[in-house]
Amino acid sequence: MTRDVLLIGLDGATYDILDPLMEQGAMPVLRDLIGSGAHATLQSTVPALTPPAWTSLVTGRGPGTHGIFDFFRKDDETSPLFRFLTSQDVACPPIWSSAHDQGRRSTVLNFPLTFPAPRIDGHIVPGGFMPWRQLRLGCHPEGLFDRLRLLPSFNARELALDMTHEAKAIEGCTDAEYEPWVDMHIRRERQWVDIATHLRAIEPSQFTALLFDGTDKIQHLCWRFLDPSLTSGLKEPWERRVREKVREYYCQLDALIGELRDHFADATIIVASDHGFGPQVRTFYVNSWLQQMGLLVWKEGQEPSATPDAAALGLNQLARHVYQIDWSRTRAFAPMPSGNGVHIVHQDQAHPNGVSAEDYPAFRTWLASRLLEITDPESGEAVVARVGTRDELFRGPAVQLAPDLTLELTDGGLMSILSSPDVVRRRSVPTGTHRPEGIFIAAGPDIRRGVRLAPLTILDVAPLMLHQLGLPIPDSLEGRLVTEAIDPLALAARPAQRAAATAAVAPVGDVTLDAEAEAEILDRLRALGYVE
Amino acid sequence: MSTTTRQQILAEVLELLNSVVRDWEFEGPIGADTRLFADLAFESLDLVVLGAKVQEHFRQTFPFPEFFAQIGQREVRDLTIGEWVHFIERHIDRSAAAKAASELV
Repeated sequence: MTRDVLLIGLDGATYDILDPLMEQGAMPVLRDLIGSGAHATLQSTVPALTPPAWTSLVTGRGPGTHGIFDFFRKDDETSPLFRFLTSQDVACPPIWSSAHDQGRRSTVLNFPLTFPAPRIDGHIVPGGFMPWRQLRLGCHPEGLFDRLRLLPSFNARELALDMTHEAKAIEGCTDAEYEPWVDMHIRRERQWVDIATHLRAIEPSQFTALLFDGTDKIQHLCWRFLDPSLTSGLKEPWERRVREKVREYYCQLDALIGELRDHFADATIIVASDHGFGPQVRTFYVNSWLQQMGLLVWKEGQEPSATPDAAALGLNQLARHVYQIDWSRTRAFAPMPSGNGVHIVHQDQAHPNGVSAEDYPAFRTWLASRLLEITDPESGEAVVARVGTRDELFRGPAVQLAPDLTLELTDGGLMSILSSPDVVRRRSVPTGTHRPEGIFIAAGPDIRRGVRLAPLTILDVAPLMLHQLGLPIPDSLEGRLVTEAIDPLALAARPAQRAAATAAVAPVGDVTLDAEAEAEILDRLRALGYVE
Repeated sequence: MSTTTRQQILAEVLELLNSVVRDWEFEGPIGADTRLFADLAFESLDLVVLGAKVQEHFRQTFPFPEFFAQIGQREVRDLTIGEWVHFIERHIDRSAAAKAASELV
């Protein structure tokens, strides 16, 4: 028999945080799911970032195929301009579209890149950067928003993006603001579960996906209250209160997962994260380094500060990259604070000092080797662990949209795109940042019990979900069916069906942001700890 | 493009906006002179979402970068609904719009 599938996304979840909480008894449901199912480390995409990683998980394709490398993408291969991504930029069908094509209903809640919503049979409430004011427009089908408004816990302003909530984090949480901020995330997760269980009760879908994103936000902003190696240093009473509040968030999250489990009793439940998390100990100001190397030139008097005030950030941040860079003299730049990507400026009429096609291979090799020579002045440690070219890291028709170089920093962190007199600075307190190692847990009647699997890749999740739904697995998927997670009798009863490759999804159209709107998103990224 | 069509676009944009502003506790009439930022308290992301919905509705892309860049150059960064409609009118692909309209009937 086929199974309904419940995908529970825990954005940025890592065993490094969850294991101690489970051992202390704070997350009994998750511990039970692991004990009664199969689990593994889940290797994320390069870069280990929400948009490409979740897109890979739900499409079974890598960024080179689905075309999502970051929150933004280049307008075209040679353009220095970037635009914000929407569902229309995802070049492969996500699992809910495949399910729809084969007569299955899906409920998709809070996943990024689901706006505008595809017209599937089922329900979509978009996540990511969906502004609360227009959440109604993002909900599918028409009328869903009004139905959800009737739920007692419904509060659109807390469910979707509200910059007034984010502003606290942007301006820096005062000691007193951490606890209410975490409480808001507890209420938000409660809302998502109420929506999921309500829809399960009245219009059950074969495939349900719910993404909890409080994990990522809290780990970004509250890492020092979470990391067991750092919490012994919390001395002040307010710090201990915040630690307890953050712990409460995970306890409540676990209880909510328990509620979901009860509502999906016969389903296959998959708990997965898009990437892991860990501490970042230093900041690498990549554009300042490029400036020192003579490869990036700001217009006179327009060099951005590493400590902008919120207003300047809101209006000017990303505009800087378009309007404040002297393009006549710039050869390489990092436009975004999230993907650790360096872009090389191609030579043309508008960019006379850009790199010619003839010089490109040698220039790229030289730039990569110089990046690897950068050291932390305090420790002497290399700042950049690895540099990958897009040809090395990605395969597929969208490779040309990728950064020319993608960096992996030795402390696992994200680089800053702002300007600083020091190219490398130690942080006074480590912050939380992404790691490639996420989590994967599967449980259900057809899943083996108590099995720890060898590490999987994020591309392996989609084939398993398709199999459990009884849908064929297209040959074009880049992951594999994790047969070792499936009960042998269940697998024998329902062997995997293969299918010819599915067609790419043609983009409907571009949705381009102005600099101010991009800056607003940058505010959000800063709130999440991506921007210094 | 005829005045009638401009009125049609205005009507469709107003319908779209009226469908969402009631969620904001906004009271008062909305018309061509209404300012998106000053009167409706838009944030830029709201404008982006509105743009995405317009593109979805008319099934075509619009040159938003230039349009937004023009707004960014203004002393007061704001936009009336009438200007938004005028922009759509100038750039609309009439065949795509006609197809979209016929399929909505």
